[in-house]
Amino acid sequence: DHHERKRKKESREVHERSHKARKMIGLKAKLYHKQRHAEKIQMKKTIKMHEQRKSKQKDDDKTPEGAVPAYLLDREGQSRAKVLSNMIKQKRKEKAGKWEVPLPKVRAQGETEVLKVIRTGKRQKKAWKRMVTKVCFVGDGFTRKPPKYERFIRPMGLRFKKAHVTHPELKATFCLPILGVKKNPSSSLYTTLGVITKGTVIEVNVSELGLVTQGGKVIWGKYAQVTNNPENDGCINAVLLV
Amino acid sequence: MALYNFKKIMVVPTAKDFIDITLSKTQRKTPTVIHKHYQIHRIRHFYMRKVKFTQQNYHDRLSQILTDFPKLDDVHPFYADLMNVLYDKDHFKLALGQINIAKNLIDNVAKDYVRLMKYGDSLYRCKQLKRAALGRMCTILKRQKQSLEYLEQVRQHLSRLPTIDPNTRTLLLCGYPNVGKSSFINKVTRADVEVQPYAFTTKSLFVGHMDYKYLRWQVVDTPGILDHPLEERNTIEMQAITALAHLRAAVLYVMDVSEQCGHALSQQLELFNNIRPLFANKPLIVMANKCDVRKISELSEENQACDRLLAHRVDTKMKTKKVHDVLNRLHLAVPTKRDQKERPPFIPEGALLRRKAMEMDAPKRKLERDLEVELGDDYTLDLQKYWDLMNPEEKQDKIPEVWEGHNIADYIDPEIMTDLEQEEELREKAGEYVSEEESEDEEMQEIRQLASQIREKRKLKILTSKEKDTQGPRMPRTAKKVERATLEKEMADLGLDMTDKDDSHYALRSRSLVRKRKREVSAPPTSRTRSQSASRPPRDQSGVRDAKMLKKVKTMMKSSQKEMNRQGKKGESDRHVFDVKPKHLHAGKRKSGSTSRR
Repeated sequence: DHHERKRKKESREVHERSHKARKMIGLKAKLYHKQRHAEKIQMKKTIKMHEQRKSKQKDDDKTPEGAVPAYLLDREGQSRAKVLSNMIKQKRKEKAGKWEVPLPKVRAQGETEVLKVIRTGKRQKKAWKRMVTKVCFVGDGFTRKPPKYERFIRPMGLRFKKAHVTHPELKATFCLPILGVKKNPSSSLYTTLGVITKGTVIEVNVSELGLVTQGGKVIWGKYAQVTNNPENDGCINAVLLV
Repeated sequence: MALYNFKKIMVVPTAKDFIDITLSKTQRKTPTVIHKHYQIHRIRHFYMRKVKFTQQNYHDRLSQILTDFPKLDDVHPFYADLMNVLYDKDHFKLALGQINIAKNLIDNVAKDYVRLMKYGDSLYRCKQLKRAALGRMCTILKRQKQSLEYLEQVRQHLSRLPTIDPNTRTLLLCGYPNVGKSSFINKVTRADVEVQPYAFTTKSLFVGHMDYKYLRWQVVDTPGILDHPLEERNTIEMQAITALAHLRAAVLYVMDVSEQCGHALSQQLELFNNIRPLFANKPLIVMANKCDVRKISELSEENQACDRLLAHRVDTKMKTKKVHDVLNRLHLAVPTKRDQKERPPFIPEGALLRRKAMEMDAPKRKLERDLEVELGDDYTLDLQKYWDLMNPEEKQDKIPEVWEGHNIADYIDPEIMTDLEQEEELREKAGEYVSEEESEDEEMQEIRQLASQIREKRKLKILTSKEKDTQGPRMPRTAKKVERATLEKEMADLGLDMTDKDDSHYALRSRSLVRKRKREVSAPPTSRTRSQSASRPPRDQSGVRDAKMLKKVKTMMKSSQKEMNRQGKKGESDRHVFDVKPKHLHAGKRKSGSTSRR
């Protein structure tokens, strides 16, 4: 009687679901309602799609490109203006010498945020040491200075070697090893220390992607800009600068 | 044995449900309240706990799934093969492998994020890290959706498999489809397998149980096998082949004599020869089924050859098969011959003789027991038949108790009278029968009289007290007031002269009467005598000569109590101090206790 029971259970489900939706309270209810809302939207869409099949719609593709309605016939096309303004903007940018980066403006990180004061000495009075609180990158051959003399401490727990790099055109993400920190927008000190914050430009090893120059040489390093706050997320997400 | 575990595998939830369950569990079972101003280590600990808790839950649940599912290498090869046929061994192993990988990945994620959280210096940062960690773990699990679905289906199917014990006595039915295997099992056991006219009605293995010779036998029904090579067989047929290959059973190859299944006898014979290698080491019976439709004798000449393959009927089939099964298991171990000397088994002399005697002799005498058995309910124990009497016919006579005025018991022993007389004499001498005379003097008589009086009086008193209905608590005798009249009457009864007793101590008029004169002039005062308490003066007047002294005594008492009352003491023995060290006397510069006032 498996089929019989299954059929009956399914028909009872409708009632049970409505009962549940009415009686639930609290966090569970919020989650459930959100989920149900999404489901209902999907259901409505499919229903609408089915209805569309039956009714006749205006076909937008039939109107050719550039065709303007009668009351606009004597004005010049918008497209040309757009091209002109873009050209002007480009020239301005080249004059300024800025790179084209996905995140042109980034919040500056102050020293108190990035470096934490470490007290040392017999009476813990000396405060010349600093510890980096953000994610950083140290090279392969990195060895610490003797602990008595090192001014900046980069803890091992915050050292990262790999970044998740997205290719903007392919829309694919790869996990690539970092080669170095090119520039940190907040301060040159951070660049030398290797601190990675949001907006930092890093160099990544792209030999995995198999890119080749026009001359035939294999490209194995490219720049990428970090797009998230690595200390909050525990991983470095970057966008490749093509 | 992995048999029962198939039903006890825990439900494998879908990926979405799994995530929901674990996350809501984390939210419920870990503390939820945290504020920005708490100490940083507390904040860190709070969020680390959540990450670790989630990781722990995932880990536990996934490990349970991994251990619950049977490992194909550990179960009986029959089950391993069956599962391979039904669920594809590779897919099964891959799914479990993926789950294992997911478990390890989740562990690593948790470890990394806990390490990072140690450097979190604000609530926001720790919270974001926890969110990232949980999110990562859930994404890992989302990727396992397919494996989890597959495993859930496997579990459901596994729990519905019939429990075939590969080690017990089994009969296996095989043959073409539609030859009558399921009908046979329906008849022989309590199983209820579907029987339909179309082929491949039975799609999987079915088990029935039956009893023969006080033993339980498993009968396994298989789906039909068609005649093509092994590689081309489909899943259903493969189940039958698996059963044939792995179960140590007696095989019943069923043939349809009437060819109602749609295959000629020659085809069935072909199939038989093809699967013959699978029958190695197993007792084999060929069953000719549907004989009612077409008798064996009606078969044509070329078909007779098939009959030579032992066409038995169902019952005889049983016996031979079982014997074979058992014979397979018995083996008489004989020690190998070492030298030429004969060593027959040793039987002691006595045993041999007894054996001979047992064979020759019939039992010598008929025992009572035998008689009892013979007679059954009519049997009575008759010991009188063993008596040795002069006249054997008198054995069953009843013995009287008294005869001609004599007690027969006395004459059982002819010496008994003399013995009795001797004993009597002895007793008389000892003086047992002499009764003492009572010599009473006057004293004794008086005492006796008094005693009888007392007894009488007592009885009367008991009667009177029983007649009285007692109301309220029972007061002792001294609390009651005794009437003068009753007292005088009682004393008079006892013989005392009670006239003229007006100025005796018990005839005083009571005090209460004087006071009551103002209120009522009711019943004339009967002079009541108080019991002993009335005769003593009250305690505060005893030892006091006159009123003046009494007054002085009273003032003395009051003055001694004044001080105590003022200090709130309970009495003269109350030495409790409410404030042992009052602060105002001990604090300050003048504090060492020499201050009595401030």
